[in-house]
Amino acid sequence: MTSPAAKWLCFALLLALASQAQAQSLRRLHVDALSMRADRTELQVGQVFHLAIHVRVRENVQALDELVIPDLGTMQSLGDERHTTHAPGGTDVVETLTLEPTASGPFTFQPAYLDAVDARTGRPSRFSSNAVTVVVAGPSLLDSFAAQLIAVIERGALAALGLIVVIVLLTTLARRVARRRRRAVKPPPAPAPPPPPARTPRDVVADALRGFRVTPSAAQLLTLRGALFAAAGVSSGATLRDALAHAPDHRLRVALIAAERGAFGPEHARDAASMELVEATEAWLR
Amino acid sequence: MSRPQALLDALQTTIVGQREVVEGLVLGLVAGGHILLEGAPGVAKTLACRALAVALGGVFRRVQFTPDLLPSDIIGTRIFDQRTGDFTTSFGPLFANVVLADEINRAPAKVQSALLEGMQERRATIGLQTHALPSPFVVLATMNPYDSDGTYPLPLAQLDRFLAKLVVAYPSLEEERTIVDRFGGAQPELPANVASLEDVVRWQREAQQVFVDAKVRDYAVDLVRATRGAELVAHGASPRAALALIALARARAYVEERPFASPDDVRDLAPAVLRHRISYDDRIAIADGDPEDVVQRIVAAVRAP
Repeated sequence: MTSPAAKWLCFALLLALASQAQAQSLRRLHVDALSMRADRTELQVGQVFHLAIHVRVRENVQALDELVIPDLGTMQSLGDERHTTHAPGGTDVVETLTLEPTASGPFTFQPAYLDAVDARTGRPSRFSSNAVTVVVAGPSLLDSFAAQLIAVIERGALAALGLIVVIVLLTTLARRVARRRRRAVKPPPAPAPPPPPARTPRDVVADALRGFRVTPSAAQLLTLRGALFAAAGVSSGATLRDALAHAPDHRLRVALIAAERGAFGPEHARDAASMELVEATEAWLR
Repeated sequence: MSRPQALLDALQTTIVGQREVVEGLVLGLVAGGHILLEGAPGVAKTLACRALAVALGGVFRRVQFTPDLLPSDIIGTRIFDQRTGDFTTSFGPLFANVVLADEINRAPAKVQSALLEGMQERRATIGLQTHALPSPFVVLATMNPYDSDGTYPLPLAQLDRFLAKLVVAYPSLEEERTIVDRFGGAQPELPANVASLEDVVRWQREAQQVFVDAKVRDYAVDLVRATRGAELVAHGASPRAALALIALARARAYVEERPFASPDDVRDLAPAVLRHRISYDDRIAIADGDPEDVVQRIVAAVRAP
């Protein structure tokens, strides 16, 4: 029973009703300005820029949720801030988008828009901003080269580091293995050479006598006397009587007395005393 | 031409034991110094001195020092001779070759000074005239260490004039038995004229020629200097002690017919030279210490060359 004309009538009626309903949900605004602007229009891939959308209305509004921002395309959104500033003459709303182009080439941001009932005319209206075009350049040859170079260097450094680590590990391992082998094949330690025979007092006296013969000085004589005292078993600082008390050997006693005469006797008698000392010491050493 | 060893042997045949004392007396004589003997009564101090004087054949005088003694009793005085109407000099016992000042610390300081001045200057003034004392001249003074009541201790400066101080100890058991046997009956004759006074003068002259090496000299000086600042010592020995030590070392080498003084001489004689030249700290009495130990420690602490 429904004719096509009736269907069209119903459709038109429904459309009018829907338009009426939408118009009734829009706010009544005096839109004085709606603009969009980029802080830079020529940039490179990866270079961050800002896109700001500014709306000014006469009414005092808390927010403008009706504002629709354009499609960002291949731009990567890094942030979206909206500031609302109230003034006696109206409200300023600024929405700032932080974007990073990911592809080269020109890119046009379509106008942002705002649907509202225009307070001037009383009709539902769409307020649109301007479009913004940015030109995104690809990375420069120099930058590309530098980036590639850095990448190469990084890769090389990493490879070198890895190589060093491997070499160090291999070296350490090789050393350990070699040490173990060396331990395994190390011949038993050779027996320590027998300690030199302890020097006897006679040896010391013989040395002192040789020294005195080479250089018959007063100092050498005192050295020989000291050796004879030690042979008698007394330390330096003792006197002849102390030495004689410890020296039962007649020949040693004669040598001790001769040494005393040589050490403390008058100058003119020292040569004779020295000869006597040498003879007596030799006799004792024999 | 006698040798000092002969005098030493002669005295040793008379004096039982006391070898160090006898040797010290002879060394003092050869060195031309005066000797102080300290010991208990009856230990042959006086006998040793008398035996020395008799053996030398010189003039021997003994003076018993008492609190009422006067300097003129030591030196002498001027006496008016009624027959000639003039003053004559009466020489005191100081004018002798060997003077025994018995218990010297019992006379007052004035008498001690008169004696010590003669010892030092080897001359004495009587009235207006100064007279040289005979040569050789040796004073042997004794002191009893036990009876200190009524004594006049000699000042350090006067003690310093004695070349050596010999300590006469009690004899050993065997020595004491021998003493009883030898001196229990008639007094034995002392060996006389073992040496002449001229011999003694020659000994003294020749002993001064004994060689002393610089190392031995330094050892003597080191020993004397070691007394200064030593523990329990208030005042150390003076440089005169080093002179005395070297003089005695020379005398000993001469007596032993050795042409040089040895470190043994210095070390052995150091206690006799040092013990009366040191004044001891008050702490030594508090600690009940023996001054002799202090001297021995000082000597032992210095290394011989």
